[in-house]
Amino acid sequence: MHLDFDAGKYAVYVWPAFALTAVAFAWMIADSLAGARRWRREAERLAAQADKPGAEA
Amino acid sequence: MGARTPHHWFDFLANPERFMAFSRWAAPVLGGLAVVLGVAGLVLTFAVPEDYQQGDTVRMMFIHVPAAVMSMFVYLCLGIASFLALVFRHALADAAAQACAPLGAAFTVLALATGSLWGRPMWGTWWQWDARMTSVLVLLLFYLGYLALRSALDDETKAARAAAILALVGLINLPIVKFSVEWWNTLHQGSSTLFAAPENRLPAVYLWPWALMSLAYLAAFGALWLVRIRALVWRRKARALALRQAEG
Repeated sequence: MHLDFDAGKYAVYVWPAFALTAVAFAWMIADSLAGARRWRREAERLAAQADKPGAEA
Repeated sequence: MGARTPHHWFDFLANPERFMAFSRWAAPVLGGLAVVLGVAGLVLTFAVPEDYQQGDTVRMMFIHVPAAVMSMFVYLCLGIASFLALVFRHALADAAAQACAPLGAAFTVLALATGSLWGRPMWGTWWQWDARMTSVLVLLLFYLGYLALRSALDDETKAARAAAILALVGLINLPIVKFSVEWWNTLHQGSSTLFAAPENRLPAVYLWPWALMSLAYLAAFGALWLVRIRALVWRRKARALALRQAEG
């Protein structure tokens, strides 16, 4: 299978479109995972605090 | 006789524990599927011959069209989740709506940006105020309005309700986006994928990379949507715990 990466005179349009797509997906993945990690840790930290003896005294 | 609790096919949404157990394995499975489909789709994207009219710009179709389809599909998800949150007050429906809005906005920005980059060499213009492009811009404004409303009000319940109503109003725009190329004369071409008339349909050599990339986008959205809903479930749990500790 031959892969053609030479977009010729259209390279100035084709490659920025692929680069933008990569950036958009990178943002979606990073933002989603960072949010999930942040709130899971916060919930676990608060749950551990609540479980400590005398925490609700 | 006791009151009977109504059951719906979407009841699993109302149970955070069941959702967390399901999404724990479903999110990585969908993410892995997205990677496999995306790699295969990208290989075919650069393996297909250039188009006799559009040259190498035809490769942009495989990233632009799936982004455009997802911009509408995600809004449909936002509308359905908002409806369920407003009418049935399902605990996770509001989280589902909130979680998909930033992803939908990102897909819409991507559709507009890659469309502009494709339009310049093919139509000779970056932008035209025609029905398809304008209605997609309106779609983006609905997403941004939804996100702005959610963060503008301090009372989360009121913010969720107002944003859900806006999301439902925005559903009117979806058929306008879809049928704009048939209802008005636009620069944008009509549908040429699976459901198009045979004479307008893409040749099979272009249908495969389009189909693989579309499925990759769909799987990626599914994975990220689940991850974002999980984040909101944890956030609610953290806030409830913090409130309990503050009261204690």
